[in-house]
Amino acid sequence: VTSISFTDNEAIITYTARLMEADRLHFVAIGGPPLLAILLARETHAPGIAYVVEDGTIAPEMPMPAPTFMIGAGVASQRAVAWTDMNTVDFHAMRGYIDYGVLAAVQVDPYGNFNSTFTGGSYDRPTRRFGGPGGANEIASLCWRTILMTRLQRRKFVTSLDFMSSPGFLDGTPGARERAGMPSGTGPYRVVTERALFGFDEETRRMKLLAVAPWASVDEVLDDMEFAPLVTDPLDTLEPPSLRELDLLRTQIDPTGRTIAGDWILLEHEGHAYRRSLSPAAAR
Amino acid sequence: MNDHAGLLQVLDAGDGEFLRPDPDGARAAARDKDRRLIDKRMSEQDAVARFVSDGAYVSFDTNTWRRGPSSLMREIIRQQKRDLWVAAKFAAHDLTLLTAGGCVSKIDVGWMEAGRVITEAMHAGRIKLYEWSNGALAYRHLAGALGVPFLPMRYLGGTDVFRHSGARLIEDPYTGGAVCIVPAVNPDVALIHVNECDVYGNARTFGPGLAPVETALSSKRVIVSTEEIVDTEEIRRHPAQTTIPYYVVDAVVHAPFGCYPGSVPGLYRADLEHLLEFGAAQARATMPEYLEKWVHSVPSHMEMLEQRVGLERLERLRAEETHREGYYS
Repeated sequence: VTSISFTDNEAIITYTARLMEADRLHFVAIGGPPLLAILLARETHAPGIAYVVEDGTIAPEMPMPAPTFMIGAGVASQRAVAWTDMNTVDFHAMRGYIDYGVLAAVQVDPYGNFNSTFTGGSYDRPTRRFGGPGGANEIASLCWRTILMTRLQRRKFVTSLDFMSSPGFLDGTPGARERAGMPSGTGPYRVVTERALFGFDEETRRMKLLAVAPWASVDEVLDDMEFAPLVTDPLDTLEPPSLRELDLLRTQIDPTGRTIAGDWILLEHEGHAYRRSLSPAAAR
Repeated sequence: MNDHAGLLQVLDAGDGEFLRPDPDGARAAARDKDRRLIDKRMSEQDAVARFVSDGAYVSFDTNTWRRGPSSLMREIIRQQKRDLWVAAKFAAHDLTLLTAGGCVSKIDVGWMEAGRVITEAMHAGRIKLYEWSNGALAYRHLAGALGVPFLPMRYLGGTDVFRHSGARLIEDPYTGGAVCIVPAVNPDVALIHVNECDVYGNARTFGPGLAPVETALSSKRVIVSTEEIVDTEEIRRHPAQTTIPYYVVDAVVHAPFGCYPGSVPGLYRADLEHLLEFGAAQARATMPEYLEKWVHSVPSHMEMLEQRVGLERLERLRAEETHREGYYS
């Protein structure tokens, strides 16, 4: 029996990294989990992976280990092919050059619409106010495919959002995005959590469970969602983060541990049989 | 005639208040500016006193984390400007400080550092928020810079952001599809921190950025703070590096370490200890003490650097920004 431990955020970043394609162009915000996922993909299966950043940086080659304070660090934009500005990279997305938008969400609904503005209370008197969409609204509207990253929790997978900051398939009816002024052929593609991976049904545009972590059951996943997603049969398995992926995250990609910090998941496994360990050390 | 040449149809409209686009007002402000090459250097006190009025719409670029006009924003707090309407196209804790200083009453949100100060000000009814996105705000500045009243774009529609904004969804009069339009913004004043500038205001911004050029061109008045004043001969030797020409600029403020505690990439790194001090002040609700220490008790930016930061720390921040490539090489 061997044990392995990682945080929920490390799992989310790892699963997202595995979705990244070396020969595609990605759009990310200036810091946070989406950028870490791209960097992990670059350090593993996609060495030449290209991304644009909201601040106008195009295809940089950030050195490892990554800088402590990415938003304020010049090296985050190092060896780019171009330094432009926010409008310019948004034009590139609007023109159809950017394949994947990778974004973090506070809440997500069955059609992949998501919230990054506030939860609880009302708009004017929110219980918890967040930064706002930032660039998420344009990224989720203009890139060909959107990948969302969030934790699997009942208060995050909700039937009705507290606020729709950025669009998924809106009400899910055919042509809903186009009727709202968005370019056609775009929309949410994957929602990545620490225990489950979702896609979207081609016809109904509803979220569909595609894969589950080997230590979690489908019932447990569904229990942690306010709405019932469609479920693919057979389901894929989300292989836990490898020691190499975790080592890269901890020593190279987020050496201060600020973004990968989270709730610990402790596993015991024999071969591919995983069991969640409930030892006291599992507490964060 | 085609099918769509009839009356323009508005399909949906957000409810948010917005600063009325004012291309003619912006043109009039441009007409009245001096076209001569005149020395526009002045102190931050004079620049803010002359060009930032109570009630003004203020736009800054970038933010206090990276190449932003932190020293000018501290001066706004020092002079206790009131009732400002701020464009938060990726605002950092600069907006928190302006709010804590009692300077802000309205915020157009793209993204902002939203902590205790902003939330409490919302609950107390001291600030009102309007929703856009970073890109939508940058684009509204582009419309302002072009001198047109609005621009079409292909996002915001269908979301709650649209609902809380001043955007409109219209039937495209050329193709008949739905398209979102957003109003130009012509801020009363722009605050832009640049790497280098001559005494007339010919300015250079190095590195990626939000929308320094659009912010300058859309605004009626433009205050440029600069790390370094360079000779006009240097500007003329490398004209491709000029991003903002002199006739747009009203004031040139020499502000070394003007982004402190943030970074100007290629020159100095961010002061992470200071950022932690700011974070602690917000968490412990001791912003008045923070503002007293860093803003009110020191009469100017240079005196703040000398008395509160110290030469040794500044030299360390400069030495530890080892990356020059693309900026100064």
